[in-house]
Amino acid sequence: MLCPLNRALAGAAALVLVASTAQAQVNLTSNTAAVTLNATKLSTLTVSPSAATATLASITDNSNANAFSNVNLTTAWNLTAGTSVRLVGWFANPAQALVNGTALIPSSNVEGGINGGAFTAFTGAPVGTVGVAGGSLQLFSQPVAAANFFANRLDVLNLRLNLVGAPTTTAGLYTGTLNVQAIVQ
Amino acid sequence: MRVRAIRGRRLSLGLLAPIAALALGAREAGAQAGTGSPAQIIALAATKTSQLTLTVGSGAVQTIASLTDNTVNSFPAPVVITTSWDVNPGQTNTVNLMAYFTTPAQALVGPATQIPSTRVLGRMATGLPVAFTAISQAAVGGIGTAGGSLRLYSLNISGANKKANRTDNLELQIDLTGFPTLAPGLYSGTLNLQAVTQ
Repeated sequence: MLCPLNRALAGAAALVLVASTAQAQVNLTSNTAAVTLNATKLSTLTVSPSAATATLASITDNSNANAFSNVNLTTAWNLTAGTSVRLVGWFANPAQALVNGTALIPSSNVEGGINGGAFTAFTGAPVGTVGVAGGSLQLFSQPVAAANFFANRLDVLNLRLNLVGAPTTTAGLYTGTLNVQAIVQ
Repeated sequence: MRVRAIRGRRLSLGLLAPIAALALGAREAGAQAGTGSPAQIIALAATKTSQLTLTVGSGAVQTIASLTDNTVNSFPAPVVITTSWDVNPGQTNTVNLMAYFTTPAQALVGPATQIPSTRVLGRMATGLPVAFTAISQAAVGGIGTAGGSLRLYSLNISGANKKANRTDNLELQIDLTGFPTLAPGLYSGTLNLQAVTQ
């Protein structure tokens, strides 16, 4: 009587053990491996002109009625800090803003304005690290804060030659490069 | 002697405890050389625990130095994953590898905004998502999160591969196409990898 009972108990125990093993193996899970993802979005500040060239078909001496074609400027920024976005126009070599062979027009005879505002010569100081001494002009200063750290603005850049009192220019094509650059301060 | 032996057998029928039986047997042995005691059964049970492990050989930290809005940004190097298993093929149909984010809506958390898992894509050329696929699927076998998971492979188990391992490359992207412009800053998150048998 005892031996069969023990066998039955042992068998039942073995079955229970096997059954519990099978149950544990279904949906067996591994350890969890973690992959760290890091992605940085950098601050951005861009200036996009609508045209690469501004032209003046005919220069009139001793006059400020020498308007170049207007250029639209879109300034866009996405920032985390700063108090202002400033747009600066500047000539690399103020004494030779426009060149026609040996004939030169300095930046003091080139004037700029924004959105129909007053014209001012490109004779100012750099703004921060942007610009050249005596050949720069701040076109606007846009206050920024958390509410507009991500924004943009569209401006019309008006340019002209002011040759009032300047020596008579030599006939020919005068070319030059006006740099337009924004800076956050 | 014979009377004592009969008395001893009667006693053994009345006692259930094995120790008592052993003690009685010893008395019998001493009393009657060459007579064996009743055999006792000792059940032996030893369990080999199934094993399933995951290791990341390289790429455990993925970095994009500069995210670009409105485009697909690829992480530069894959995550190299090795899965090892030793399972009972009679009780295991498949080994599956899952990738998932704990909070799908915030797969990567930034300074002001979050990048959801629908914008994080994975591809495993040796697995199921051979093309980049959003990590936005359902959990499998209780592993993963609803809307934040991606099954990377499902391997059938048989006797031939009940104990084996495999190494796969997981490539990752962040797709910002059509996504609102992100505020500058660091976006970070954790992609969980876990294997499960079914």
